[in-house]
Amino acid sequence: MTALGDVALQYRDATLGYHQPVVSDTTLAVHSGEVVGLIGPNGAGKSTMLRAVTGGARVLGGTLEVLGRSLATYDARSLARVVAALPQTVSATFRFSAREFVEMGRHPHLGRFSDLSAHDRAVIDQAMERTDTARLASEPVDTLSGGDLQRLTLAQTLAQEPTVLLLDEPTSHLDLNHRLQVLDLVRRLADEGLAVLAVFHDLDMAARYSDTLAAVHDGGIGPCGSPREVLTGALLGDVFGVSAVIGTDAVTGSVSVTPVLRRGETPQPLGVRVHVVGGSGTAARLLRRLVLEGYEVTAGALNAGDTDHEVAVALGLRFVPLPPFAPVDAHAEAEAAALAAVADIVVVSATPFGSANLGNLRSAVGSGAPIVLVGSLGPDRDFTNGAAAALWADALASGAVAAATEDDVMDAISEVSGR
Amino acid sequence: MPRAARRPAFVILGLTVALVGAVMAGVAFGAVPVSLADIVGAVTRALSGRGGSGANDALVLGLRIPRVAMAALVGACLSGAGVLYQALFKNALADPYILGVSAGAGLGAVLALALGGVGAIAAVLVPASAFVGATLTMMLVVAIATRAGRMETLSLLLAGVAVSYTLAALTSFAMVMRRETMARIVFWMMGGLQSATWQYVAVVGVMLVAGLSLPLAYSRELDIILLGDERAGQLGVDVKRFERMVLASASLMVAAAVSVAGLIGFVGLMTPHMTRLVLGPRHRLLLPASVIAGAIVMVLADLFARVVLAPVELPVGIVTALAGGPVFVWLLMRERRRSL
Repeated sequence: MTALGDVALQYRDATLGYHQPVVSDTTLAVHSGEVVGLIGPNGAGKSTMLRAVTGGARVLGGTLEVLGRSLATYDARSLARVVAALPQTVSATFRFSAREFVEMGRHPHLGRFSDLSAHDRAVIDQAMERTDTARLASEPVDTLSGGDLQRLTLAQTLAQEPTVLLLDEPTSHLDLNHRLQVLDLVRRLADEGLAVLAVFHDLDMAARYSDTLAAVHDGGIGPCGSPREVLTGALLGDVFGVSAVIGTDAVTGSVSVTPVLRRGETPQPLGVRVHVVGGSGTAARLLRRLVLEGYEVTAGALNAGDTDHEVAVALGLRFVPLPPFAPVDAHAEAEAAALAAVADIVVVSATPFGSANLGNLRSAVGSGAPIVLVGSLGPDRDFTNGAAAALWADALASGAVAAATEDDVMDAISEVSGR
Repeated sequence: MPRAARRPAFVILGLTVALVGAVMAGVAFGAVPVSLADIVGAVTRALSGRGGSGANDALVLGLRIPRVAMAALVGACLSGAGVLYQALFKNALADPYILGVSAGAGLGAVLALALGGVGAIAAVLVPASAFVGATLTMMLVVAIATRAGRMETLSLLLAGVAVSYTLAALTSFAMVMRRETMARIVFWMMGGLQSATWQYVAVVGVMLVAGLSLPLAYSRELDIILLGDERAGQLGVDVKRFERMVLASASLMVAAAVSVAGLIGFVGLMTPHMTRLVLGPRHRLLLPASVIAGAIVMVLADLFARVVLAPVELPVGIVTALAGGPVFVWLLMRERRRSL
């Protein structure tokens, strides 16, 4: 990210709303060259923050400044030369051609009796090319698909040659390809100096395209900072009521959010305690499913960086956390054994075993609780020179149930627990 | 984009030629037919200051031309107002008659007529009073139809109809209270152009120009307002001010039409709609083209009213209603997939 430009849009202790305030005492700055993403639950006031700039909502207190001047000093035309907005939905119940539709974006730049100049036409051409709508130019807008119409509306806003661009959930009607196309374009425009304030519902997209994220909830702005600072498990719990795994997208390197559990989604506890030995992401789905069915779930030792570890954290489970790649030492094994010992059932997921995590299997087999073993322990899973296979065979000999699939595991658990 | 819209000048020129043709026909036909040569002769003589010397000069200059000119002006006013209402309310069904504005202007005009005033005073007082009536009615209908900042098509039309009925009752009441002027008012209310005089032609002409000039200058805003009020604001239109200007302009034109011709329905509905179908929605062309088309429609409707049962004359309002009613129903039925 390059150095930030001047402040283009500044909310200063602003209270915004309609008859009643929706967001109060909000302070937020959007710089030239920056994409600021607003995230938050429905009805939190994200759209209200945008609409306060363009006149749909009112500034009830504090100030709102555009390019260092109070919003009140702008009239509709002079504001539209600086600020453009892309609405959430666009409807077209008129037969303007696509090009005529985009031309409307030049309105704030045109004199009352002047026609489009060569410069105006060049701006329109460029806006349509950049949004991939040039080929639609002569189509009537009321026959276009929602996605085409949305990109055409973006072209209309670009024709305004704005300094500040407001996007209200800009890609909700677009397919994946066009969604990326539009957001890539917005990103590029920001890199060229545009100040962008955008409402996002898709947190992955918000993280990927924003320099700064601001969470809007409880009538104000909560944490504000880089996507990695803002998108934390605690924030997602607070703001959205969701437990989530916060990861890093392997390809783009941006923060990725995988929701695991919704608040209020957990059913009545069954009073049955299941201990799961997992690792290498083999237990993630099972852990979530067991929690959703009301079992009290614990897990053995899990290394940080492992998906199972992240899911166990997101679900708030008791387990034995280890640093990345750390072996299950005697201490960890004892802790895992203690958790397994108080379980009604122990499940060993389809994780491979090596010398580092053999202790996990040992603590499970030695617990004395009924055991469910997932899959079979062939050479593809056993890297212990037979030590794991011996434990596995012992368990089977003393009555452990073998389960092939996740469904089999669930069946076996309900059978063993007598439900 | 319809091909014709690329050549606005040609369209306007073609419509103007058609209007001249309709006017010629309107002047030529009637209870007594007048030859084209007589018409040209009468106009030439009048322009050269020797008016009245031809055999048919009195008929042509004193009756036919003012009447046809009045028909053209009234049609232009109604159609122009229809374009403005349809844009502002984003509704193909909006029209001065259906919105109740005509009834409001009518009540205003009747009050002025009933309170007296003849000649030059009436020529100014009646349209002025009609303008006040039209403006107040429009404000009332919009207020009734707006709920929580939103205006639904159905509630707008229902509010218009309800207000129309109420105002019609008040109009009847005013007439009953002043029996001596009743016959004159009844005749006027049915929609007729019999009383056309040069004096009224001048007044209505001035009101048409006054009502049309601002909207013509704001044709881009008329396009943009179709995108919705909030979007229009984002694109730099001062929506509240623009709305007031458009409604005042439309009221002025409706008042002009109603104060001379009574309640004439559906011209303001049909003409803009048909014009839009052919020329597309851009107001830079649509507004002037609809105004001229409205003039043509009205001149022809008036001609039809005069000759179909000659020597009996039908009130022209009956002709437009007979033709326009079915069109309104057709529009109503396709309203769900309407596009302006």
